[in-house]
Amino acid sequence: MKRFVSGIVGAVAAAAILAVNIGEPITPAEGQQQGHAMTAMATSNTKASGLRSTLNTLFQEHIYLAAAATGAALDGRDAEFKAAAAALDANSVAISKAIGSVYGQGAEDAFLPLWRRHIGMVVDYTVGVATNDKAKQDKAVADLIGYTQDFGAFLQSANPNLPKSVVADLVKHHVVTLKTVIDAQAAKDPARTYTAVRTAAGHMQMIADPLAEAIVKQFPDKFGS
Amino acid sequence: MNGQWGRVMVAGIFGMVLALREPAGSEQSVAIQTFQFKPTPVEVPAGTKVGFVNHDDIAHTVTSGTPENPDGKFSFKLGGKDATATIELGKPGVYPYFCERHRSMRGEIRVK
Repeated sequence: MKRFVSGIVGAVAAAAILAVNIGEPITPAEGQQQGHAMTAMATSNTKASGLRSTLNTLFQEHIYLAAAATGAALDGRDAEFKAAAAALDANSVAISKAIGSVYGQGAEDAFLPLWRRHIGMVVDYTVGVATNDKAKQDKAVADLIGYTQDFGAFLQSANPNLPKSVVADLVKHHVVTLKTVIDAQAAKDPARTYTAVRTAAGHMQMIADPLAEAIVKQFPDKFGS
Repeated sequence: MNGQWGRVMVAGIFGMVLALREPAGSEQSVAIQTFQFKPTPVEVPAGTKVGFVNHDDIAHTVTSGTPENPDGKFSFKLGGKDATATIELGKPGVYPYFCERHRSMRGEIRVK
């Protein structure tokens, strides 16, 4: 658990570093100087904001559907589990297509199995919890922590604005927050569960926003307004 | 027996030469990038050196066969970013390969 806590601290620090690197904020004075033009051109409908919105929606959906699947699995609601798992996989495909829309079909095809792998590991952890199999739980957590390095390497390879270690820390935090959801579901504590679900979903913005910013930075011509 | 030497012996049996060094003089290069082998398939005359360069900051392997059916003809690890290896296939045929760590990564060498 100490590793998880240090992972959280690392992820928060890493996100802060990314946020600083992403762009210079407009100062009030600059805003006043540009006020007239900014008013005339103000719009939330830009390609960059569309990308950020899409990634945030998809990544948060990932949490809600994953929590629905693990909750159903732990309660033995088989039909609901299958439906949630199918919806979760459709979300995985949609995330892959978002990656593919930027990096091409090859990257999309490579991303999907990589993304699905961590879902399989979460399923393993859930099964370990459901069966009180500590060794299975520990192996799943170890696999997930190892997976964060793969995921970080993939995104760094696609986009040099995304350092592997920073991405890995952010994904590690995703793993930790989702694990907290599953543990609360297993403890049959609804209040803790839904608080954890909101925390996990909220954290996904820390992955989606830097990813969107890094893509826009990499392809300014494609995503410039 | 040292595992590395074991692989060299296995490679020798199948008429191949593996060199885990700079792919100097390679006539065909395969890049490993964003968890993909590029290009694939590659078609080369028998005896051509095929060099692999890992551009991902993570270890990959180039292992002959498929994840469902590894055929043991060759397997080597490219331990991280900028790691290279070269393979020379002397016998005509189709050589599928994959990454053992990321089994969806697949490629193919066609030796004429």
